Amino acid sequence: MKTTIYLCLLASFCACQSTGDMATPTTGAGTGGSTARFTVADNFLYVLQKQSILAYDVATSQNPVAKGSTTTYGATPETIFPFGKYLLLGTPSGIQFYDRSLKPAAPTYVTTYTHWFSCDPVVAQGTVAYATLRSGTPCRTGQNVLETVDISNPLNPRLIRSYPMTNPRGLGIDGTTLFVGEGDSGLRVFDATDPANLRETAYFKNISTYDLIPARKVLVVTGTDGIYQYDYSDLSDIKRLSIIPIKR
Amino acid sequence: MPTSIRLVFLALLLILLDSCKYSHPPAPQPADRTTGYRAVYISNEDLRNVAVQAPQPLLNPGKIYVKDGYLFVNDQQRGIHIFDNRNPAKPVELGFLRIPGNSEIAIKDSTLYANNGPDLLAINIGSPANVRVVKRIENVFTTTSYPDAKQVWFDCPDPSKGYVVGWERTTLTDPQCYR
Repeated sequence: MKTTIYLCLLASFCACQSTGDMATPTTGAGTGGSTARFTVADNFLYVLQKQSILAYDVATSQNPVAKGSTTTYGATPETIFPFGKYLLLGTPSGIQFYDRSLKPAAPTYVTTYTHWFSCDPVVAQGTVAYATLRSGTPCRTGQNVLETVDISNPLNPRLIRSYPMTNPRGLGIDGTTLFVGEGDSGLRVFDATDPANLRETAYFKNISTYDLIPARKVLVVTGTDGIYQYDYSDLSDIKRLSIIPIKR
Repeated sequence: MPTSIRLVFLALLLILLDSCKYSHPPAPQPADRTTGYRAVYISNEDLRNVAVQAPQPLLNPGKIYVKDGYLFVNDQQRGIHIFDNRNPAKPVELGFLRIPGNSEIAIKDSTLYANNGPDLLAINIGSPANVRVVKRIENVFTTTSYPDAKQVWFDCPDPSKGYVVGWERTTLTDPQCYR
């Protein structure tokens, strides 16, 4: 009964919004942030469990079917990022590479790019991976850094350069623009044309940034203050478009 | 690298790792056992009561997801706000998907996948006016049952009371759990 009322409410609400021109869902997957623990790649949904990657066949999207479970190495993986035929896992022991092309239901472990300390999310584009490391839990060195890693040979990932950060969290790359969330310490924007020499082009101090998604020149940021959106079509003049505030 | 050198390196690595526990000795358990954390429960029936609701205020934003001009915002442990975001200067909330114990979102075609406490859900979002759970896979996730805070006392969670959606700091009587 309750549900029916809500559905009616929603339906009537939508009616005012002229439902006729609602965006039509396209086939395929959408885009998540770098801290995601669920991801869709081709016909599989990959879900991180404490010590494994669960694979669901979603060829028929409405009917996910459990197909396999791959045990992961070391500590609990924190994030999963689809990158071509690979899945990149951000784990406290580094970036783990799994190849999903051979057996999509049971991705094959390829290699680990090892940090000495804990790892947060990882994203990649072209031949470069970008990962943030954040201090805060026992047995970490207290370093807060952003790393660029050469993954042109995924069997042998190599550090390009490490950059000091304040408290880095989620990150995203679009073309030559890299966005790094610094938690409650703001949002940094870099020109990433040369991964060995990132150039900070903007720093927004007062935005809580825990994760972000850059897509089609609009950056969506999530943090403790709410959801912020920016237009970055002109990198020299990144404009705030909107805020969805939290209720305090 | 020759295997012998690798082994030496590995041994050194293990020694170094071992040093961690000595450089961070566990803090002594606080003598005061009257302050700590108590689990906030949701009944098992309520946990699985997934429903579309009218737009709701955003309380504790978590992960985000974008697809086809829609923006999905997780409200931690509560559910997912669905926005029409075709104009990012003016996102319009279409509704709130109540999913207790939710933190994750992924979408393929017009099916949204979400965690609902221990369960994995497939939800058809093809028509905003007719959002519905199309598949529930039970007990996929092992859920943590302790507070995020460390070196604290807390009431041991009681599964018979339901699913733990959060922890509140409070006054305790003889807590038996500590981390």
